[in-house]
Amino acid sequence: MPDSLQEDPHFIARLRQGDRAAFGQLVKAHHNMLLATARTLLNPADAEEAVQDAWIAAHRAISKFEGRSLLRTWLTRIVINQAKMMLRKRGREIQFDPTDDPDALAHRFHGDGHWQQPPQHWELSSPDNLLTRSELRRCMEKHLHFMPDNQRLVLELRDLQGLPAEDVCNMLGISASNVRVLLHRARARLFEMVDHFQETGEC
Amino acid sequence: MLKCKHAVEKAGALVDGTPLTRRERFALRLHLLMCHHCRRYVRQLRALLGFLPRQAEPLDDARTDAIVKQLDIPNDRP
Repeated sequence: MPDSLQEDPHFIARLRQGDRAAFGQLVKAHHNMLLATARTLLNPADAEEAVQDAWIAAHRAISKFEGRSLLRTWLTRIVINQAKMMLRKRGREIQFDPTDDPDALAHRFHGDGHWQQPPQHWELSSPDNLLTRSELRRCMEKHLHFMPDNQRLVLELRDLQGLPAEDVCNMLGISASNVRVLLHRARARLFEMVDHFQETGEC
Repeated sequence: MLKCKHAVEKAGALVDGTPLTRRERFALRLHLLMCHHCRRYVRQLRALLGFLPRQAEPLDDARTDAIVKQLDIPNDRP
């Protein structure tokens, strides 16, 4: 079910009245994306549990959903809260200070701000490179795994889920400039990785 | 004059549609017009984002039903 249909007022009214089938459609459409979000912070088993709990919480609260935000923003916020609770149980916490990880591209610039080591030309789009593409994707997944949690979460919400920047600031309780910096750092890491891959063929 | 390092930081906004002030946008466009390294950065950043692994598949019916069935169980976990 496309996003636009799910944001339809009739669909939302059905959800608020406790319509089972409508809630099932909601689960079907959003579960995997919510799971991907939870996995940016938790191991796969904990992520699964956090999203299950989020559905229970969402089901309890849906009658109060007023449509002031997108449904998927509302659901994502619930999942992030569940994930934070799970982290706390494990004695961990997510920090949103973007300065604890340096900019992966910083070393490529001279002190005066000009490129010292400009980007390579990438051959991503040539169709005969399927093997390279699957290797590249594996390499990307590896780098996503080792990325700091805060960067991975912001990248997921902005670049993969396409949530509005303002929603991301609100749900994480951080400033627009911190979201921007975290997103830039996450992208810079991946850019650096693909550039290295293009140059050496190695991850 | 915008430096490459700052152009690269600002260019993210062009890629994801974050609003820039008119002045910022102008400075960035001007820089990109003159700097092919930064143009390449922006082009390849777009390609990179298109290449990220996405999880947008709908959930299968069996697992959807399983989740919906769970909803009524009160206080299922201690």
